[in-house]
Amino acid sequence: MLKCFILVLKDVSPPQEEGDVRHYLVNRILKPSFQYWTTQCRPHAVSMGNAFSFVKQAIFSLERDMEWNDMLVVLEDTIVAYIRERIDFAARVIAEKAGEKIVDGDVVLTYGRSEAIAHLFKEAARTKDFRVIVVDSKPLLEGKNFVEQLRNAGLDCTYILMNALSYVMPEVTKVFLGTASLQSDGSMLSRVGTACVALAAHSKHIPVLVCGETYKITNRTQLESITNNEMGNPQDVMEGAENLRVINLLYDLTPATFISGIITEMGILPPSSVAVLLREMNPTNAQY
Amino acid sequence: SGSKSQQQHGMFGASDRRLVTSRTVELLRVLIGGTRWKNANELLTLLNGLGKELHSVGGFREPAIGNIVRRVMAAIREEVLSETKSSDTQQPSLQSILWAHPQVVLRQGSRHESFADNSPVDHDANLPPAFYETRPDLKQTIMEVIQEIMSDLEDMYKNINEQALSHIHTDEVILTCGKSKTIELFLKAAHAKKRNFQVVICEDAPHLGGHAMAKSLADAGIDAIVINDSATFAVMARINKVLLPAHAVLANGGLIAASGSNLVALAAKHNSVPVMCVTGIFKLCPMFPHEGQDTLQDLVSPASIIDYAEMSHKSVRQIEFINPVHDYIAPESINLYVTNVGTFQPSYIYRLLAENYHSDDWESFE
Repeated sequence: MLKCFILVLKDVSPPQEEGDVRHYLVNRILKPSFQYWTTQCRPHAVSMGNAFSFVKQAIFSLERDMEWNDMLVVLEDTIVAYIRERIDFAARVIAEKAGEKIVDGDVVLTYGRSEAIAHLFKEAARTKDFRVIVVDSKPLLEGKNFVEQLRNAGLDCTYILMNALSYVMPEVTKVFLGTASLQSDGSMLSRVGTACVALAAHSKHIPVLVCGETYKITNRTQLESITNNEMGNPQDVMEGAENLRVINLLYDLTPATFISGIITEMGILPPSSVAVLLREMNPTNAQY
Repeated sequence: SGSKSQQQHGMFGASDRRLVTSRTVELLRVLIGGTRWKNANELLTLLNGLGKELHSVGGFREPAIGNIVRRVMAAIREEVLSETKSSDTQQPSLQSILWAHPQVVLRQGSRHESFADNSPVDHDANLPPAFYETRPDLKQTIMEVIQEIMSDLEDMYKNINEQALSHIHTDEVILTCGKSKTIELFLKAAHAKKRNFQVVICEDAPHLGGHAMAKSLADAGIDAIVINDSATFAVMARINKVLLPAHAVLANGGLIAASGSNLVALAAKHNSVPVMCVTGIFKLCPMFPHEGQDTLQDLVSPASIIDYAEMSHKSVRQIEFINPVHDYIAPESINLYVTNVGTFQPSYIYRLLAENYHSDDWESFE
């Protein structure tokens, strides 16, 4: 999305009317772009909302009477820096920090596919000797390609569907999960099924570590999975009929009690500290 | 009956297990009727041998076969002892009234000289003398006992469904996992009695039994919703009740069910949603979960997880795939067992064991 914004900015021509150019940029260019993005390309997600807030803030922090072209250049640089630092670099820092938590002989479990987790395992594979169990679920089956990649990175892999989770859980030593968003109460919204994995691990007192970059942290909170969610194509699950409804939920909520630690690029925190981190990062408290 | 036998040998809930069990009883009846045995001890020895034979053939996949043989043996013991008691003028001791334990057997007289015949004492030598008497009406009585067990099995669904209305209430949202004939008939019975409720069905990957179950329920007019297994925790906040089918019920009150059921039970417990297991009592096994998740477990082909075609990739071939058939659910996660002989909490299951099987027959027929 941010890369799209950069392209949009490249094409923008300066406004004809008088007035604060910045307001023009935000209200007439960026806001409609964002709305278009969330309706046509991909539904609103927390990370997207945070990125958009960041860009808005960046625009308003520009000098009021800057040259138009200079403005665009600075803006583009800022956005590129955001992508580089908060997204790419953060993933690598997380991989390093979380890698310290993996020891030789570990049996590590993960669910589906996550960028941060992919980085983590590939990095750790170089120096540590451990096994990975990838749990997957229909209909997305995101873990299938992921487990092949891990195998190619030289790791001992096991692949199971959700039904075998109780069977393998006794031999698991740690669980690493990715997330789509971290809420201020410490709970997290992630791919549907993550909560089941965290639940199973928690019931066997196995530590659950979540790898989440800070751009995913939000002030919003919801108490259960259904109040705010996305639905995928029900046909992916099963052929419906008039008397039979099919629901394809895409996200679920993992309560904070199931999470042992959250690994961000700022460090490893307990779930109760997410609100503190949010405060530290956004002193002006600008929200979307 | 080619299609029927095909049905019987299917797996993963496709077979009619009650049918297999009643066929086993029929087989026993034929064999008992056709063989010559002089007294109850010989009969029990015969049945013990039969039980071993049947279990070695089909018992691994179907523990109910061993269970029903044990049930028949226990019923025979009970019958023989009750006949003795009626002719016996001795007052029952205070202790026996207090404990009322069917396993308490009054030991009288000297047993070792009372059988002079050459029948091998394969079984327990501590049987009371009543078991060594030859009575002309014994065969008739035994046949009646077996007939009673048969009709119990025949009426199983009727007895379970009678309780449907007391467990399913108006406007409830019920969750179930995979395919089960017992649960299907239970829900349909409640619906037929004009109860209004919704059913959410987990599809139970990779066997996908939930799809057929949902279609069947929807065709009966029940409001059915299908979700994937991963959404179990997500929807659990809106569920009022969980119904689980059983593969086997263990002596400690634990449950062996289709794999994936343990996640459902854990999620339900976390959300304080009651979990009920609806099953026939013939699935009650006198064994404990000493092997944890490996109890009564079978690992089957991962063909349903990964295509054979994909296995041609070198990297995929080196990956381990695990596909278990069952899950063990601890008794703490189950709230109620609804059976054809009544409704019980998991902590009562050991009593049902004592009532249905004799402790001498508990050791499995392996």
